[in-house]
Amino acid sequence: MSDRKLPRLLQSPAVILLLIWMLIPLGMTLYFSFIRYVLNNLRRPEWTTPSLSNWRGFGNYEFVLNSKDFLFAIQNSLLIVCSILILTVVLGVLIAVLINKTFPGQGIVRVLLISPFFVMPAVNAVLWINMILDPVLGLQGIAVGSINDMLDTLRNAPLVGWFFSLWPELEPISFRATQTSAYAVIIMVTWQWTPFAVLIFMTSLQSEDQQQKEAAVLDGASIWSQFRFLTLPHLARPIAIVVMIQAIFHLSLYAEIEIVSRGNGNKNLPYLIGEFANNNIGAASATGIFAVILANIVAFFLLRMIGRTLME
Amino acid sequence: MAIVAKPSKFAKYGRPTLAWVVGLLFFFPIFWMVVTSFKTDADAVKPEHLIWFTPTLENYLNMTENYDYWRFAGNSVITAVFATVFTLFVGIPCAYAMAFNPSRATKDVLMWMLSTKMLPAAAVLYPMTFITKSAGLFDTHFLIIMVLSLINMPIVIWMLFTYFKEIPKDIIEAGQMDGVSTWGEIKEILIPLAWGGIASTALLCFIFCWNEAYWTVRLTTTDAATLSKLIEGNRAPEGLFFGRLSAVSAAAVGPIVVLGWFCQKQLVQGLTFGAVK
Repeated sequence: MSDRKLPRLLQSPAVILLLIWMLIPLGMTLYFSFIRYVLNNLRRPEWTTPSLSNWRGFGNYEFVLNSKDFLFAIQNSLLIVCSILILTVVLGVLIAVLINKTFPGQGIVRVLLISPFFVMPAVNAVLWINMILDPVLGLQGIAVGSINDMLDTLRNAPLVGWFFSLWPELEPISFRATQTSAYAVIIMVTWQWTPFAVLIFMTSLQSEDQQQKEAAVLDGASIWSQFRFLTLPHLARPIAIVVMIQAIFHLSLYAEIEIVSRGNGNKNLPYLIGEFANNNIGAASATGIFAVILANIVAFFLLRMIGRTLME
Repeated sequence: MAIVAKPSKFAKYGRPTLAWVVGLLFFFPIFWMVVTSFKTDADAVKPEHLIWFTPTLENYLNMTENYDYWRFAGNSVITAVFATVFTLFVGIPCAYAMAFNPSRATKDVLMWMLSTKMLPAAAVLYPMTFITKSAGLFDTHFLIIMVLSLINMPIVIWMLFTYFKEIPKDIIEAGQMDGVSTWGEIKEILIPLAWGGIASTALLCFIFCWNEAYWTVRLTTTDAATLSKLIEGNRAPEGLFFGRLSAVSAAAVGPIVVLGWFCQKQLVQGLTFGAVK
């Protein structure tokens, strides 16, 4: 066999598999997004089988764009993704700079820090929403309860009692309402992904130019200006990459939303697609195409960045 | 004036202390889950037993009875192991060809592969359900193995490619001169040389398969349901079962977290596609 044919042959199983995996389902989504297709409709049974005669053009897209749920899901997706991005990048940079210098137990601290990243999303969500954030039985509820008990005791105390009776009772926050459950998702995903940001920033910090830094110290640069003018510019590229990779992952966040907010109205795009897919396949598909477009905007920039380093 | 500044008090005591506090804070939820798993369900919700309690193993001993844990764990092991093996089986020859016989299209093919990873899974939810149900594959091990394998293949091929690129071409070419077949080359020369890289790629792939939580939840009901599905199905115990739920959660993530400690470096590579060095 000639040298030129063989590589193509060895690549083909992977290429063909990925091609099938990508093209067939996506092609079907595209097709369904242009036809009327519902799973149950007694009055119009012809809509329950996919067929070109049910062509709807951009009708599904219009329907989705005009639905309140879609706008809310987009807003909510952006709220969740952007909050997570800001929190993980800020925390990630601070923690990476903090633990980048050697100190006793650095290895152990690294292991402790990275652990949350390997917790499966379902466990992450169940753990936080029940054992930690529950307003009565979780740590939050217990903490608020014991502070209130303490205040009660102090209110009945002689002399200082009048002062503490001016203090209000603390109310625990329920994280199962629409808005608050979005916050719960932000908290748990930030917990899980900050370690990822830390790990990447630390990897990058190790390649920081130490001589330049020493020169800056000799010139009497303050710690702040070293950070501002040397470290931060050095981290610009990893920050961009962390932002884009996380954006792609978190735009399709699912398990956390499903577990924390089933049925309470807190939805993002994947969750909305799941809801539509219970009956209105046309709308689910149109929403799916919007999700693909959104992810592709981010992926375009990310792939360009990766492409530049790929062949080095 | 001293040229080298004396380390400040902060550098000597403050930084390590702060670093330890941050590390412990991040680990605390996992620690708390493990602590709760040793409490009875009744103790787990009583403030007076928050810290002082009589540890019990009953939650772990009753995992089969309470949750049928081992069936789900078995499914997780089977699907993750076979998906990893299959991904490597397809990925190694592909990465080998790309690294040692690159063509002008190689870079584009790699970039295209990565781009498939970036498609949101939810976009193809219904077609996947539709196809698998009509093909009779819904809720089968085969389906989950294939799906897990396909979603991780781009990362695996990419990682293998970067490892293989480090191997000097001469060694492979020497093999070709001696008339070794391609399979022989891969088996006798490439795999032994790149063993470390292949092993850590496999480990990372296994972890990603284990933790996957979209398709394993949406494309299974009982037969091929993995641990993600089990936990998702018990999402809201309303405080009744904190102890046993913690135990089953700890059992589901414990081994993976420990495995994860060993592949931190590969994680950076695998998830940033080599864009951060």
